[in-house]
Amino acid sequence: MTAVAEPQHGAVHETGGGPRGWRHLTAPGFLRAAWMMPLFWLFGLGVVLFFRWLADYEPLWDWEVITTVAFLTTMPFGFLAGIGAFDYWAGYVIGRPTPEEDHSSHGATSWRDYFRVNTDHKVIGVQYLATTFFFFVVGGLMAMLMRAELARPGLQETTPQGFNGYVTTHAALMIFLFIIPAFAGLANFVVPLMLGAPDMAFPRLNALSYWLLPIAGIMLLGSFFAPGGPPAAGWTNYVPLSETQPWGNIFFSMAVQWAGASSIMTALNFLVTIITMRAPGMTFWRMPLLVWANFTTSMLVVVATPFIAASQFFVMFDRVMHTHFFDPAGGGYVLGYQHIFWFYSHPAVYIMMLPGFGIVSEVVAVMARKPVFGYRLMALSLMAILVLGFSVWAHHMFVAGMAPWLRVPMMVTSMIIAVPTGIKIFSWLATMWDGRIRLRTPFLFVCGFISMFVLGGLSGIMLAAVPIDIHVSDTYFVVAHIHYVLFGGSVFTIFAGVYFWFPKMTGRMYDEKLGRLHFWLTFIGFNATFFPMHIIGDQGMPRRVSDYADRFANWNLFISISSFFLGASTLVFFYNVIKSWRSGPPAPANPWNALTLEWQVSSPPPVFNFDTIPQVVGGPYEYGIPGARHAVLEPERMHEVAPEEVRS
Amino acid sequence: MGRRTVLQLIVVGALAGAFATAVALLIPWLGDPASREGERIDQLFWFTIWICVAVFAVVAAVLVVALLNFRVPLDDDRDGPPIHGNTKLEIIWTAVPAVLVTAISVFSAIVLAENGKASSPNPLHVNVYAQQFAWTFEYPEFKNVKLPTLFLEKGRSVKLTMRSRDVIHSFWVPEFRQKQDLLPDQDTTIWITPTKTGVFPVICTELCGLGHAAMRTQAQVFATPALFAAAMRKAANPPQQSGLQIFNAQGCAGCHTLTAAKATQKIGPNLDNLAGDAKRAGKPLAEFIHESIVSPAAYIEKSCADAMPKNYQELIPSAQLDALVAFLAKSGTKTEPRGCGE
Repeated sequence: MTAVAEPQHGAVHETGGGPRGWRHLTAPGFLRAAWMMPLFWLFGLGVVLFFRWLADYEPLWDWEVITTVAFLTTMPFGFLAGIGAFDYWAGYVIGRPTPEEDHSSHGATSWRDYFRVNTDHKVIGVQYLATTFFFFVVGGLMAMLMRAELARPGLQETTPQGFNGYVTTHAALMIFLFIIPAFAGLANFVVPLMLGAPDMAFPRLNALSYWLLPIAGIMLLGSFFAPGGPPAAGWTNYVPLSETQPWGNIFFSMAVQWAGASSIMTALNFLVTIITMRAPGMTFWRMPLLVWANFTTSMLVVVATPFIAASQFFVMFDRVMHTHFFDPAGGGYVLGYQHIFWFYSHPAVYIMMLPGFGIVSEVVAVMARKPVFGYRLMALSLMAILVLGFSVWAHHMFVAGMAPWLRVPMMVTSMIIAVPTGIKIFSWLATMWDGRIRLRTPFLFVCGFISMFVLGGLSGIMLAAVPIDIHVSDTYFVVAHIHYVLFGGSVFTIFAGVYFWFPKMTGRMYDEKLGRLHFWLTFIGFNATFFPMHIIGDQGMPRRVSDYADRFANWNLFISISSFFLGASTLVFFYNVIKSWRSGPPAPANPWNALTLEWQVSSPPPVFNFDTIPQVVGGPYEYGIPGARHAVLEPERMHEVAPEEVRS
Repeated sequence: MGRRTVLQLIVVGALAGAFATAVALLIPWLGDPASREGERIDQLFWFTIWICVAVFAVVAAVLVVALLNFRVPLDDDRDGPPIHGNTKLEIIWTAVPAVLVTAISVFSAIVLAENGKASSPNPLHVNVYAQQFAWTFEYPEFKNVKLPTLFLEKGRSVKLTMRSRDVIHSFWVPEFRQKQDLLPDQDTTIWITPTKTGVFPVICTELCGLGHAAMRTQAQVFATPALFAAAMRKAANPPQQSGLQIFNAQGCAGCHTLTAAKATQKIGPNLDNLAGDAKRAGKPLAEFIHESIVSPAAYIEKSCADAMPKNYQELIPSAQLDALVAFLAKSGTKTEPRGCGE
């Protein structure tokens, strides 16, 4: 992708010189992973057998424990070691002299460089996006299977356990393997560029964070081959049901650990990068709002994600080690699980939304040619959501049987969080107002996002009102709400972001006509699929059922047909991306005439982003002021930016 | 802002508001509530809906008018005016939503408090037990008689004290609007004051495993204390019923296929082939059927899951159980073993 290879760094790519003979087997790569994985698996097996033998446990060969340790823990480490994610650190640990950094693992000159441990944040960003969109397709196909089953009352296509398995893995893939990491991928590409930094603060950690993702995804898909099938207790994995489910449930518990570890490491990386690697002159109040959004998101991740890790470890311990954290028979506390789970999973909603808010702010300002309205209040409202986000978790538990006095305070905080969210919506509208709007595809998706997210927010207010929630919780009303927020909200902003930065990432322009077609098909399909769910939920259809009362048959058939239409609409997107990446017209450095730093370098950017350190001299959105600049690059850099792109 | 723009905002806002109002009024969103608690919840629901309609109209108006008025061709290279903010506007759109959500919160808190206590004198008490995948309703007032369906009296509040015997379940009657999870390690309670007679579905809304979708029963509301008492007496001393009647009354058709009862569900084993399954289990037919009803986990076909409720011993009086076993032995005569969907 990056045509601008920098020979002065003396890059020794494996694809160039390459290892010879036996070195093929010991050089980092998939070949080494192929023999290291069984080796690590055997190690895990040995550990289990040794301790069980030592403690005289019967039976010695307990395959549930062996699966947890050997298949789901040590074997993935073998994969990571095999592809070389630990090589540098391992050398350091065993006392080898630290090799001089030759940047051989940095940047990409051929497609093969995307299939190895690469420390370039731009390569990692693309790796993230390609991987997450793969799981988006898989998760989407599972949704289609569910809708095929639900097209008519009664059981036709699946079994009850199979259906619950699709319910669970669809949600788990979309949340942990698509929305959260897709935002991490976009931010990975864009944030260091926006900051004027050559890369993330910890490039090797960044590479490791990415490679944990395919492990988590394959683990979730691999659960389909586990005895008893995939996890089937819902992505919420409530105890005690999850503790009485077949083995597939351990696959869920462990996949969440791998994806969660990836999330936490990326978040730490973003925090350190944003705090320490801003270009000179880039004060916090000159940061683009996308950077602000990822800053807040990262703080949410660092504080909240350990809670879901803990909740899933406890479930797994209860199953495998026979502890009693949540087992009522042993004195465990059933509601305790829900408190720990939602203490992560409510903030997770904001982890899945705040980066999208950042994308929307960028797109609106650039495409409407106006400064973001109330920039400081926009940043502060992100911080307000961050703080309030930790005080609302129990609104998922209004009917769970928790202490009754908790209901009203949690309702009040949940209501208040609508205020900073409202501020953001109104500020975007005010930014558009009186602008010079270029209605390009990213802007269309932003308009779709605003309208759908407002509907999701309004149904959110209804769910926050305890008595209404008592009626509609665990019904299709909630299914409608979550899809308005996470599809109409998060996924629309992911599409906006992908279109917006597509020229920067690939060096090619996407096809505007196809982009618009994609938007309209998705927008219509989305509403036709999810809006009627409000109605059947209110009328009495519970969620997570494979069968339903006959009176909901017509609506369900309509929803199923619409969902196939919605699924098909993404084909336009993939066609556009693949076609444009291969043969789209070359993109100029700054096709949208934007001020932020990522647009001041070539498309795609050079391997180390900036030849000289940029000097930030003003705010990021000074549109409408002639000659205003966000940053100055050294004069010798200027010739690489096409003259017509330079704002005089 | 010119007069024309203001007019546009008003017209588009009115159109969006009218559209949303039509959606709210023309679609039968909720149906009529059948409890006093439900009536209160519906009032709150509509109060919130009208606020939502207003917010939607405002946002739609601003978005649509902005797109209509300020769109320029893609090759236009002008910028908009450098407006960075407006403190007055920002205070308004912080304060107005804050006031609206406060109003909804106060209304909600009042409804919640009202719905959390008896709405009639002399409330009825019922103990509810849930387990995979069945409901049991126990009446302390009627010598602890246990019923598979919930009998209630119109106008008389009932307090349900609920407990799960295994995983988490959730009790919901859409017409009553009340819902509450049942936990295995603590009691939960809920109040219902029926205002309509009739039969309403009781639905489990918390994913509880294989038979979750089929975990249904009914709530029947009687018009007068006399009718209710008569129904309870009859339920406590059931008359002799035919095997088919018991099969239907106990909800066997919710999970099983049996041609003699016109049952077609496929969650549990196909009962037409009971004779074959009994042979494979190596047990006499009647004994096999009896055991499979009262302790279903004792023998489970390889192709089936341990999904059958384990409370039928306490739900079915022994005379009825014998009639049911006889009926099944007479009906399930196919001799090839089939299990679940083989």
